Amino acid sequence: MNTDEHGLGTEEAGGPANERGTSRRGFLRTSAVLASGMAALAASLAPLRELTDCTTVERFLQKHYKEMTPEEMNKVLERIAREVEKQYAVRPQVKDYKPMDGVEFVYCLNLTRCIGCRKCVHACVAENNQSRNPEIQYIRVLKMPHGSLDMEKGDHYYAPESVPEKGFFYLPVQCQQCKNPPCVKVCPVKATWQEPDGITVIDYDWCIGCRYCEAACPYFARRFNWTRPSIPKERLNPNMSYLGNRPRRQGVMEKCHFCVQRTRQGRYPACLEVCPAGARKFGNVLDPDSEVAYILKNKRVFIQLKEELGTSPRFFYYFDV
Amino acid sequence: MIRAVNVQPHSTKVLTLVTLAFLGLAAAFYLDLWGHPALDRAIPLVDTNFISTATARMSVADLMRSGGDISSLDCYGCHEKNKPLKLKLDAEGNVVVPKEHDDIVMGHGRHNRNNNCFNCHDETNLELLQTRDGRHLKIEESPALCGSCHGPTYRDWEAGVHGRTSGYWKRSLGPIERKVCTSCHNPHSPPFPPRQPAPRPHLLHPPAEVAAKDN
Repeated sequence: MNTDEHGLGTEEAGGPANERGTSRRGFLRTSAVLASGMAALAASLAPLRELTDCTTVERFLQKHYKEMTPEEMNKVLERIAREVEKQYAVRPQVKDYKPMDGVEFVYCLNLTRCIGCRKCVHACVAENNQSRNPEIQYIRVLKMPHGSLDMEKGDHYYAPESVPEKGFFYLPVQCQQCKNPPCVKVCPVKATWQEPDGITVIDYDWCIGCRYCEAACPYFARRFNWTRPSIPKERLNPNMSYLGNRPRRQGVMEKCHFCVQRTRQGRYPACLEVCPAGARKFGNVLDPDSEVAYILKNKRVFIQLKEELGTSPRFFYYFDV
Repeated sequence: MIRAVNVQPHSTKVLTLVTLAFLGLAAAFYLDLWGHPALDRAIPLVDTNFISTATARMSVADLMRSGGDISSLDCYGCHEKNKPLKLKLDAEGNVVVPKEHDDIVMGHGRHNRNNNCFNCHDETNLELLQTRDGRHLKIEESPALCGSCHGPTYRDWEAGVHGRTSGYWKRSLGPIERKVCTSCHNPHSPPFPPRQPAPRPHLLHPPAEVAAKDN
């Protein structure tokens, strides 16, 4: 009390109330109110701390994929590995796989063989770290009545006891990796582009989430992360790539990328590996000895889906015989 | 600096109000009053069977390699050597499967013409297979037997186009794994058996008829 009095007194040389109206009681009351006000302000701003999830300085200053030097890319990969480890307690292997020379990927799917079991859908989800709740799936299997290719007649939600059902065939649809991709043309920030090996990729750190590409895609191949993706730790695939299956953020697009983390190492994509009917075939169309070259040469390859749109897909559907 | 605050009863009131407002805001955040609405339902994780790369069945060769039980392949544990086997036929001329082999479903071909044991099995040596053109093959060499009738399919299989090919599309980087006919097809009843499909997509806002089916 005394010190207080002195403190005020030395400066102002006044009694309990000076000419400007500051009293000790008033001062204490004001300080108390101010302090609690500040505390309340801090508490109410606490949710802002979660914003680090939206962006960090590092991520904000990060360059476009194509403009990064190898050193900068290494730093980014290190940051991604750190973030994944923090979130999932799993140390991932994050790499940036580059396209191989003289390779153009093509996918062929045998409609005679597909039995509609949807194993490809779930193998893809597991390989590519897609959100489980809400669900994000790159592949949709359409149950189609025989004798029609009208996709409006397709049913996504079939759930019979067993497949295949009489009178129907199954048409799995995923990103067609078009040669003339409408989704790339509409992107206002060049966050998605076609790579030399034919894969259309997305830089998830450059995407602004405008969803133009989703609207432009005639195949319903692109998916948007409306919420923060949820992936159980035990199902996380730690073999990740920058343009491929690293975990995405809320607010960005994603889609099938022919499993770049597998195919650019020479392996087959996950949906092919799991197909029990052997209906899925993948390879380098520029290699005349590849399975896909054999199919395009010898099989009744009858459609590129919605051929009339001029998108020129690298995904071919064919029949046996 | 204290001097800067004009200490009037009025301003104290305002400050108190602001403080209360902030406290209310903090409480609202804490209780997550306008947070994300809870997702409608929990989506169960998909059964790992649906992401397993195992083939539909196991071929004899796979079984031998994995050290499984191959006692059922020991024909001469029960049959006698050098004693010709006679098939029992019913009134319509169909083979009657003896009860020792009742796990065998005779379903090869749509017209019941191929349901004769010795079209493929060698009657003089039961541990071998025989083709129609007289070649004798070991039981794990079955693709050549199948191919002796199913020519175009065999040609596709050899090109890696029929059936499962897994591993590396770029052969210089790693091996491929070819599956044989009997890894997927039961030789006695080859059509692919129907199977349970994996769960359909769970939408946040499913179409009315799908939601009705779910509940």
